[in-house]
Amino acid sequence: MKKKRMLALGLSIIMALSLTACGGGDNAEKQPAQETQETQKTQEAEPEAAPEADTAGDTAEAEGETEAAEGTDLSAAITLWTYPIGNWGDSATVESLVASFNQKYPNITVTVEYLDYTNGDDQVNTAIEGGQAPDLVMEGPERLVANWGARGLMVDLSDLFASEAGGEIYESVNSACKSSDGKYYEYPLCMVAHCMAINQNMFEAADAMQYLDAENHTWTTENFLKAVQAVYDSGQENVGAIYCSGQGGDQGTRAIINNLYSSTFTNAEHTAYTADTAENIKALETLYAQDGINFDASINGGEEITLFRNGTLAMSFCWNAAQQINSDNAAAGTTNNGDTILPMLFPSDDGKTELCGGIWGFGVFDNGDQTKIDAAKTFIDFICNDPDQVNESVKASTYFPVRPTLTGIYDGTETADTMNTFSTYFMPSMGDYYQVVPGWAEARTEWWNMLQRIGTGGDVATEVATFVENANAAAGAGQ
Amino acid sequence: MARSSTVTSRSKVLVRRETRSAYLFLLPNMIFFVGFVVIPMILCIYTSFFDSTMGNDTKDVFIGFGNYVELWKDQIFLRALKNTFVIVLVSVPVVCVFSLWVSSAIYRLRGSILSTFRCIFYLPVVTGSVAVTVVWKWMFNNYYGIFNYVGKGVGLIDKNINWLGDEKFALWCIILILFTTSIGQPIVLYVSALGNVDTSLVEASEVDGANSFQQFWKIKWPLIMPTTLYILVITTINSFQCFALIQLLTSGGPNHSTDTVMYYIYYTAFKLYRYGYGNAMGVILAIFIALLSAVQFKLAKEK
Repeated sequence: MKKKRMLALGLSIIMALSLTACGGGDNAEKQPAQETQETQKTQEAEPEAAPEADTAGDTAEAEGETEAAEGTDLSAAITLWTYPIGNWGDSATVESLVASFNQKYPNITVTVEYLDYTNGDDQVNTAIEGGQAPDLVMEGPERLVANWGARGLMVDLSDLFASEAGGEIYESVNSACKSSDGKYYEYPLCMVAHCMAINQNMFEAADAMQYLDAENHTWTTENFLKAVQAVYDSGQENVGAIYCSGQGGDQGTRAIINNLYSSTFTNAEHTAYTADTAENIKALETLYAQDGINFDASINGGEEITLFRNGTLAMSFCWNAAQQINSDNAAAGTTNNGDTILPMLFPSDDGKTELCGGIWGFGVFDNGDQTKIDAAKTFIDFICNDPDQVNESVKASTYFPVRPTLTGIYDGTETADTMNTFSTYFMPSMGDYYQVVPGWAEARTEWWNMLQRIGTGGDVATEVATFVENANAAAGAGQ
Repeated sequence: MARSSTVTSRSKVLVRRETRSAYLFLLPNMIFFVGFVVIPMILCIYTSFFDSTMGNDTKDVFIGFGNYVELWKDQIFLRALKNTFVIVLVSVPVVCVFSLWVSSAIYRLRGSILSTFRCIFYLPVVTGSVAVTVVWKWMFNNYYGIFNYVGKGVGLIDKNINWLGDEKFALWCIILILFTTSIGQPIVLYVSALGNVDTSLVEASEVDGANSFQQFWKIKWPLIMPTTLYILVITTINSFQCFALIQLLTSGGPNHSTDTVMYYIYYTAFKLYRYGYGNAMGVILAIFIALLSAVQFKLAKEK
């Protein structure tokens, strides 16, 4: 009898353990669905300062003189996993890009799988642990350089940067793609500056347009607060939301807070978090006290955009060029009910806004097969450097090139005016690309948890200090 | 004598053959059981004694019970453990009592009506958890959710409540959704168990003057005890393993008020890459589940 009892207990332990051992598998262990049409354009990545994208006028001359590019007879089958970076999350677009590649390199087969920002990291990490990492992955430096690269999982792409096209890449973008040990783990294709946007019709109805410079897309902190108050007083209860349910779109909350009284998130060396400044504390206290601004722990950046588009909110802190040209639910540049969307720089008290941004490109996982590595580099070289191809590759991202020699990408398209607006008024304001500080994953989580605590009445100075302490502890552990 | 010996020998051969066949039939399942249950379980326990992370240049470092010691100092883990127990202690009894009550009310209904009820209650179980979650998220929406709309409409609340963004409400919202997705199977099982209760026993008790309550408590309840035990164990395990709802709705927030151990395991392992620490949590969770299941077995047996 006792034996049976022991057996029953043992079996129940096995059952329970096995369930926990496999726990999380629902989301974490499934491989990315091939051909998933996930075109969410809310990007989570942020770049460094980028000079004007449309300066110097030469046509694109980007020859990839790397070893990999020489091998037109190279034969390999490689996998590319791509996050939804503009239309790089759309299978029809990517298939056409791959078809172009195969015209030149018919012996390299590229199988594409589409990730989303909710589960993409889990899928890649699970694949890495299972020895099934993709050959190529498309994302930004905070993943390719600061995470997988720093863990020794990526191939050094220095040879691609040594090419003529590689040498043209903006210095700030170049350094964001380089690890602390001087190796390059990302070869960049495109970039964008994340900004904010307002519902112009609501602002006009509240007589709040007087507080902003619509032509230059700028406003001061003082005028921003006056505008929010005016819109709130006009009957719009929810003007803006400091969304903080998760990390999605969190660059927006960092940008509004850092810019309001001109402060920083990290130090210039990217070794420590410095958000506990008097200016940041003042910004958080000001936003918390401001009528019409909600600290909302039930929504993330993507959901905030939805609320902005459907007219629930009068402004969005999670905007960029791709959002402005998005016409999924209404004409580009308008909300679902036709109101005009005006993109704006984040307000700042010194007139010098620093936007967070995104740099996206390719990384190659070191899977131990030199042929595949060469094939992957050949693909990158073709997509990013081939003069006949690169414009289409950048255009597919709906963002901007990372080289000053690439100009007029969107000329002749229906989005040309909008893209010109962004490259003229927004791209020059791109700030420091600080997302490569060690412990970034923990710091992001600490950030939105801090906002949640402030939103429920936590003392701002205490909560910011807790954030910095925890984030720096993670940074110290990650170094 | 020789004949008897031949017969014995033949029967032994037969037994051996049948045993072999039985094991062969079991083999495919055993391969999966060993591959996906036993080995991961052993690896889980083994890795929990290491500081293990992802990377080509990293090596697992043996730290003994270091992860387990750290667990009890980790305020987020302790909060997640508390939340998990709240979910289990609330949802398990409520699910069992509610499903028994519903089943008692419907099990004598005509076939088609009974099937309709079974379908209604089972629908959330067969509907994809993501779809269910999206609908609930919409209903709980801070700005245009139906709960706020109706609540304000009938005067229950003055202003919108941020159901999933407020520490006071978020965990209870999770428990409510978990409840709706958990009752389907128990109701189907109870309806079946109650329908199988020997009517002659019930009729005999009626002749002896037993009232409805006595009939239920003295006759039906003991007879459906195995079903109750199964429901208790399965609901307990499911509640302990509450993960998808948390990930899809709140990511453990606001301020860790909806963190569960399962979600924290996921976060630690897949976001922070602390595999050893995550596995140590898994082992602790498994021990709690096993203990609670053992207690349920024991109590049910005494009953």
